Amino acid sequence: MSRVQTVPHSPARQWWLKWRFHLNILLILVPLGFMPKYFADMRLFRGEDGLGQHVQADIPVGRWSVSLAEMRDEPPLADGPAGYFKTFNAALCATCDEGVKAIYLRVGKPRSLRAAGSILFGSQYRMATSLPIPQRTRPDALLWITIEGWDGNMYQASVPLADASPATAAWLAKQGDKR
Amino acid sequence: MAQSPKKSKSRLWFLVHSWLALPIWFFVLIVCFTGMLAVVSQEIVWLANPDVRASKPDADATALSFQQVIDVMHKNRPELAINSMNQPDGSHFALNVGVTLPDGARTNYYVNPYTGVIQGKTPEFNFEAFTRALHGWWLVPFTNGYSWGWYLVSLLGLPMLASLVTGLVVYKKFWKGFFKPVRTGHGPRIFWGDLHRLAGVWSIWFVAVISITGIWFLIQAILADNHITISSQPIVPVIARDQVPQMPDGSATSRIGLDEAVRIAQEAIPGLDVSFITLPATAYSHISMDGRGWYPLMYQGASINPYTRAVDSQFLLSDRTALEFVTESMRPLHTGDFGGLPIKLIWFFFGLLLTLMVLSGLLIWTKRTAQATAAALKRSERPARVAATRAETTLEVQP
Repeated sequence: MSRVQTVPHSPARQWWLKWRFHLNILLILVPLGFMPKYFADMRLFRGEDGLGQHVQADIPVGRWSVSLAEMRDEPPLADGPAGYFKTFNAALCATCDEGVKAIYLRVGKPRSLRAAGSILFGSQYRMATSLPIPQRTRPDALLWITIEGWDGNMYQASVPLADASPATAAWLAKQGDKR
Repeated sequence: MAQSPKKSKSRLWFLVHSWLALPIWFFVLIVCFTGMLAVVSQEIVWLANPDVRASKPDADATALSFQQVIDVMHKNRPELAINSMNQPDGSHFALNVGVTLPDGARTNYYVNPYTGVIQGKTPEFNFEAFTRALHGWWLVPFTNGYSWGWYLVSLLGLPMLASLVTGLVVYKKFWKGFFKPVRTGHGPRIFWGDLHRLAGVWSIWFVAVISITGIWFLIQAILADNHITISSQPIVPVIARDQVPQMPDGSATSRIGLDEAVRIAQEAIPGLDVSFITLPATAYSHISMDGRGWYPLMYQGASINPYTRAVDSQFLLSDRTALEFVTESMRPLHTGDFGGLPIKLIWFFFGLLLTLMVLSGLLIWTKRTAQATAAALKRSERPARVAATRAETTLEVQP
């Protein structure tokens, strides 16, 4: 706080003394600035902007086809001690979920159904999963899609991780520098 | 404020009280105002949008069961994938049904609980979500962990609690103030001062509840961002592979219906009022049901295996630790969402009072400043600029 002064203040200082406690009105700029981002995010969460970024459309898996996309064009996010995760979305071709029991996603080829990877949650129109991305993954690794049929059979296909998520591949390349 | 002989100490407290909200008055005002709106946002939408109302087709219509509603929806819109069903608190609200459309978009349909007819969908601008986001985290996005807007807002719990304590210390014999009339005709300074004190004493409990629960939101964010959990809620494992039948012909196996699942859940948890159902999101997922029990501030839930009919997991009031009873009660206590419309209206009213207290606090401050400036001008021939500065300083010691 200012003490009593004997010399007159400059206009700037006067303005400051008069208005300093109202400067917090400027905090309203924060929500105003974030508003476009807020509405864009709402659209994204509702899935109105499509499946996601870098859509790998109609990848044939068995007799079906799956479209795959990363939720956001960004590197994996850390989730504490659990490691790094990346959200992917997927959709089965329209009207062709017949016979599909579950769909899984994994970095590297799964050896069996029991290790098929992260299960995709949701309806055939839009599924999502949070895929663990180990830091030691090679940037040229493949992303494997496994469909488990109600008949117990397993159908597989893969796409390069660098195509499905260039940001993840770039991030992995950097992790390689650190290793 | 009456001057007391023990001036120095109460002056100090008064100064602390005066300065707590002042430098951030507008921010506090908007947070209080949006919080007040958020409490009744669901009711505002109900008033504004007829789609949200559960209108009876005729006087003696009875509500359909969850499965009956799904059946009607599937008949009318076979392409819809239904993810969840929610009966908001109050039978005047339509069901909220979460669906995915064939183009991959997700939305929330308002469904008439008597007919199963889809009345509308949540509009692009979701008023409830928006007011809550503005109030709760100042619209700052959550990227990794809690948003810094959440911290910004929840930090206000601390000065608010301090305002309450210092306000009670400086208001001598505040317990005698409950029926003191607000004096009009003595100028705005007296009027706003009286109003501030009267609203203040009636709001003691409310300010305590809001600030303490607000501080909890701060603690909650700190815990979550440091990956510390105090929850005893079991993590429901997916259904074991051998419990999901294999179908040699390749066609999907059938699951039990929702009504059967509700029956099983209510048999296992007597008194469970199922208000939220999550349908299986994978072939290995449960039908999960949540609802209130005898203690309206907390939810209980059960996960039903749709193949074996077993209750694979449940989380009841009796499973909670004493600490969880406290921490889980914090959110409904903050939002007033635990006793239907009457409680919400009480929260809304006191939210309005709280908003007015911030405003009146500011007005008292500016009136006093203006008066002190005028007095200082009369007293001396010094240039006005100096007098203005003088007034600011005077304010500190002459409440």
